[in-house]
Amino acid sequence: MLRTVKPRNARSKRALEAREAKEVEDVRTAIFVKGTHTGEIVNGVMKELMALKRPDTISFSKKNTIHPFEDASSLEFWAGKNDASMFLVGQSTKKRPAGLIIARTFDSRLLDMCELGVDKFVSMAEFKTPKSTPGHKPMMHFASELFDTHPRFVQVKSLLMDLFNGEVIDSICLPGLEHVISVSVGPAPSLQTVNPILGDSQEEDIQNLPKIHIRTYTVKLLPSGTRVPRVELTEMGPFLDLSLRRHQAADPEMWKAAMRRPKLKKQDLEKGLGKKKKNMEVDEMGDLRGRLHIAKQDLNKLQTRKMKGLKSIPVEEDGSSDGGEQEEEPRQKKRKWD
Amino acid sequence: MDVSNILASHAAKFQSVTVEKETPLDVDTGFLTVTDLTPIDEDSYKYDRLSNLEEYLQMTARDGIQALVAALYGLPTQPSPDGPLAQLPAPITQLPRTKPLPKPKPPTKWERFAAAKGIQKRVRDKKVWDEERQEWINRWGKDGKNKEKEEQWIHEVKADAPVDHDPAKAARDARTSRVAKNERQRLQNNARAQSAAGDREERKKDIERTLATTRMSTASMGRFDKKLEGEKKLRGVKRKKHLSSKKNRHHLPYYRSWTGDVKRARKEKGAGDGILNVRKAIRNVSKGKGGVALAREANRKGAKGKRGGKR
Repeated sequence: MLRTVKPRNARSKRALEAREAKEVEDVRTAIFVKGTHTGEIVNGVMKELMALKRPDTISFSKKNTIHPFEDASSLEFWAGKNDASMFLVGQSTKKRPAGLIIARTFDSRLLDMCELGVDKFVSMAEFKTPKSTPGHKPMMHFASELFDTHPRFVQVKSLLMDLFNGEVIDSICLPGLEHVISVSVGPAPSLQTVNPILGDSQEEDIQNLPKIHIRTYTVKLLPSGTRVPRVELTEMGPFLDLSLRRHQAADPEMWKAAMRRPKLKKQDLEKGLGKKKKNMEVDEMGDLRGRLHIAKQDLNKLQTRKMKGLKSIPVEEDGSSDGGEQEEEPRQKKRKWD
Repeated sequence: MDVSNILASHAAKFQSVTVEKETPLDVDTGFLTVTDLTPIDEDSYKYDRLSNLEEYLQMTARDGIQALVAALYGLPTQPSPDGPLAQLPAPITQLPRTKPLPKPKPPTKWERFAAAKGIQKRVRDKKVWDEERQEWINRWGKDGKNKEKEEQWIHEVKADAPVDHDPAKAARDARTSRVAKNERQRLQNNARAQSAAGDREERKKDIERTLATTRMSTASMGRFDKKLEGEKKLRGVKRKKHLSSKKNRHHLPYYRSWTGDVKRARKEKGAGDGILNVRKAIRNVSKGKGGVALAREANRKGAKGKRGGKR
């Protein structure tokens, strides 16, 4: 019930700490799973997508009896076991040939899924062109208005970005930009005419949805005479033509929890990440430096050194205590200033 | 001087780096992503699909990436051995997290006290300078400074110390008791943190739930069970009555209809002409046993009388 794993040694403690929730998260590790039957196309697709995603991948080489849309418990178990939060399940059946399911988890529970059917696949090996270095971050290009409007394509975009580019980084080496993953969608065939009453019949919709084209290019940066170089693209592969199939949207409650952002740190705030602040900056030592503007000082009210001779003493009436006071005064003064 | 020729030749040498689109490209430099919201050109998509489509896709990708590269090269950079490092802003696109946000660690008792008093945290060095040995030694741990007293070869003993006084042992005991105290405080802090996190509450609720089920599973709702100290009284649960039993048959509808007259009489408070309260009268005559009992009594009396007459 309240089971907590207690680390037995320093190494396992470090390993457990690495798995704990962090404010700025690591990149999602993807597990590539084969279903009961995959076939040549799906095998090739999985292999090449893995080559693009590497090194944050885990490959399950054996076949698994898995049907994520019916029962996602295996995925959740693997997610917890491997500290992975993304799945690519390849499966080819008679009803759904060459299928690829992209699933992601939140807190070791399934968040959302999308099934894609591979219609056409051109392998990397078929292009005799230079390839990108493994482990380099790709640039991503999405071309269609549907990626902003249609919920299915919004999900696909989010999943693909999470798969290839989900890590938040603070800087990138500009010569290290080597390849591009471009995702485009075919023309939308009167998508708007789909009547909302029949919106629930998914099968109808799926027939109407346009295809997704994933293309991968290497980038060549040519001098242009300005600071910004001219970009030339060369085909690299893999090329994929995908069609949308089943999907499972995220549970709104879970999605809300997953979209919660950490509060910005104080230093970041001072830097102006949250809100621009004028006349303030954080220097290299992390100290906050500010510039103040003060109105002109009134020097007439300036407090200068007090001198006894200049003091306006009220006229004393009693003369007898005069002698005693004079005796006291120097001693007191001395005590004060020493 | 006419420089247009020179400019033209210059422009010819270098292709343009500017991208012009009807709808502006949506560039998210934080994730190195660009989104082109222009719908795909249907003509180039449909006709002559095989060759034209690839060209078209590559062209749109090139335009998009050109805009992204322009945005990236416009960012402030830092030099590095591998080339300039562009300082990326925070991403605009929101992607879901992998794990929930980490919960802040609850403060220890000392931390709360220090915060209240405004005591600044100050990290002590692990090493301290040893004047005698003229080197840095550990404050604690191996050859630690805190073991100095118990490991020195000569000890100062007070004149009135007991005979069996072992100064090394006394120093050691003092140190180990300090360690034990610290450990005890650590455990207390842990327990406090757990109770603050609601683990304890959760467990308490769980136990209460179990207790309630066990009570409800006896016929008497645990009335005759052994009570523990501080056990709460169960509220809001009622016994389920078995209608077939003799005791509860007044709940049965047909039984009600039998005795309906009396009930009705009871309900109609001050029934009749308003002078006689029937309900009260029945109660009085039957000595509180009710109308049914009165009728039974009357019948029996009648029977008795008959029998008596025969004798």
